[in-house]
Amino acid sequence: MNESSPALELDRIGRHLSGRAIVEDLSLALERGEVLGLLGVNGAGKSTTLRMMSGMLAPSSGQVRLGGLDLYANPGYARRNVGYLPEEPPLYGELTIEEYLRFCARLHGVDRSAIVAAVERAIERCELGEMRRRLTSLLSKGFRQRVGLAQALVHEPALIVLDEPASGLDPIQALRLRDLIRALSKDHAVVLSTHVLSDVLACCDRVAILHRGRLRHSTVLSELDAGGAMLVHLERDIDDQAWMRIVHVARAQAIGTRRWRIDLKHCSGAGDLAKAINDAGYGLVELRSDNNALEDIFVRIAAETAVPEACA
Amino acid sequence: MSAIRLVACNDIKRQFAQPFAWILLALTTALLAWQFLIALDAYLRIAPKLGAVPNSQGATDLIAIPLLRSLSGLLMLLVPLATMQTLAGERRAHTLPLLLAAGIGNLRIVLGKFIGAFVLVAAVVLIAVCMPLMLEFGTALDLARLAAATFGLLLLAASLTAIGIACSAWTAHPALAAAAALIIGSLLAMIDMGARYQGIDNALINWLSLSTHLEPFFFGLVASIDIVYFLLVTTLALLFAARRLDSLRTRG
Repeated sequence: MNESSPALELDRIGRHLSGRAIVEDLSLALERGEVLGLLGVNGAGKSTTLRMMSGMLAPSSGQVRLGGLDLYANPGYARRNVGYLPEEPPLYGELTIEEYLRFCARLHGVDRSAIVAAVERAIERCELGEMRRRLTSLLSKGFRQRVGLAQALVHEPALIVLDEPASGLDPIQALRLRDLIRALSKDHAVVLSTHVLSDVLACCDRVAILHRGRLRHSTVLSELDAGGAMLVHLERDIDDQAWMRIVHVARAQAIGTRRWRIDLKHCSGAGDLAKAINDAGYGLVELRSDNNALEDIFVRIAAETAVPEACA
Repeated sequence: MSAIRLVACNDIKRQFAQPFAWILLALTTALLAWQFLIALDAYLRIAPKLGAVPNSQGATDLIAIPLLRSLSGLLMLLVPLATMQTLAGERRAHTLPLLLAAGIGNLRIVLGKFIGAFVLVAAVVLIAVCMPLMLEFGTALDLARLAAATFGLLLLAASLTAIGIACSAWTAHPALAAAAALIIGSLLAMIDMGARYQGIDNALINWLSLSTHLEPFFFGLVASIDIVYFLLVTTLALLFAARRLDSLRTRG
């Protein structure tokens, strides 16, 4: 493994099925310690991309490299360094959670002497302790998902690939999953696909939006926030013209009583806007980043081809 | 090797954690025991008369070999049932991605599945062999011939198991996999039936038949050509299964 190489690198990968491109010319890189959120509508190619990242599916073109090594040409390396949770958790209903995780640990090449500790750690991380001797066929959807997650990280892989990990979890479990993913990102590179934008905002460092198999948008979330719109709640009623007198404001849109959505000019920040509002005496009640910026981008990309799709 | 053993052990453990394998073993054993007892009863009735006939047939000819020959027909039906879940079941239960993403290689997965299924089938053969073997306490058996027949049956079981695995890799529907394995196994067993009716018994079509290569084992003849034939069928079927897994990776 080349230490200077990104943990995961997709180099112009493509995947064709029956002559149709499912994924096309997709390039991405991810460092250890980063969480990448893969967004896209159904059929955008997210699951296919994740399968290629996991080494389960060979790309028709391009390369998936893990630590600089071609994943498909080095299956033994993938075995030890990739953890994959498919959309449907791959559970053997005849085994208990403990037996299943032991099998997964051995399957991924964990040494016999380290298996017990690895399984214990995975059980603890995914909060499966009380259910450890329960058959996986008897588990609820949420627990099945957690066991699936445990098998993806039992061998402490460099890359963890999660296909809709929050699917089937209740709100409390989903919040804990976010914490777990954040904790995992300290030592691993994590890629996850989801439809839930709040999950991406809460636990991802970067986001990539796929549409019709192509990468349509890729950004670091902190940059998205910095350059995005702000939501402002004021004490006083003012009009558009009043906003346009503030030099930092590019566009103002009323979204409720004394509530505004403000697009900042390039190089202007939230601090500049707050100071200008106070100087103008408008009475600032609340100022926060508009998380809908990601949603707007996502909806815009999805809507671009919605009509042709419907016609097809 | 450890990956093959791991997949095989996991399959054996899962098989015997379900009632299906136990019921299959119990019903097959009951059926064979019934046949064995009928043959034994018939043998005991004619045994006093046989003593007076020079070079007469013994318990091996009249009990053991007919039982094992009957088992060879039963395996045609039994093996597809034992193998239908191996890969098709994994695909239906969405567990195949776990094996494919583990990077252990398609051939290792297939070999692990083959060994896992073969253990159950071999158990049936060995249980069947134990029945006539018990007669050794009361009469003299032709043990060499019995060993040859057992070896032949195990080779047949291996070939049918490999065909079953290949069919299970071909489709995601276990019932369809079982039906396909049954048809292919039966076709291979009966492929030269028409030729034999016409008196042809030494042509290529005879060589292709499973029965042609199994029959000598029942007479105590262990020929390398017959062993090679069964190993060839087994190898080709397993390679097809591995190729099919590869196409799942490359063609989706």
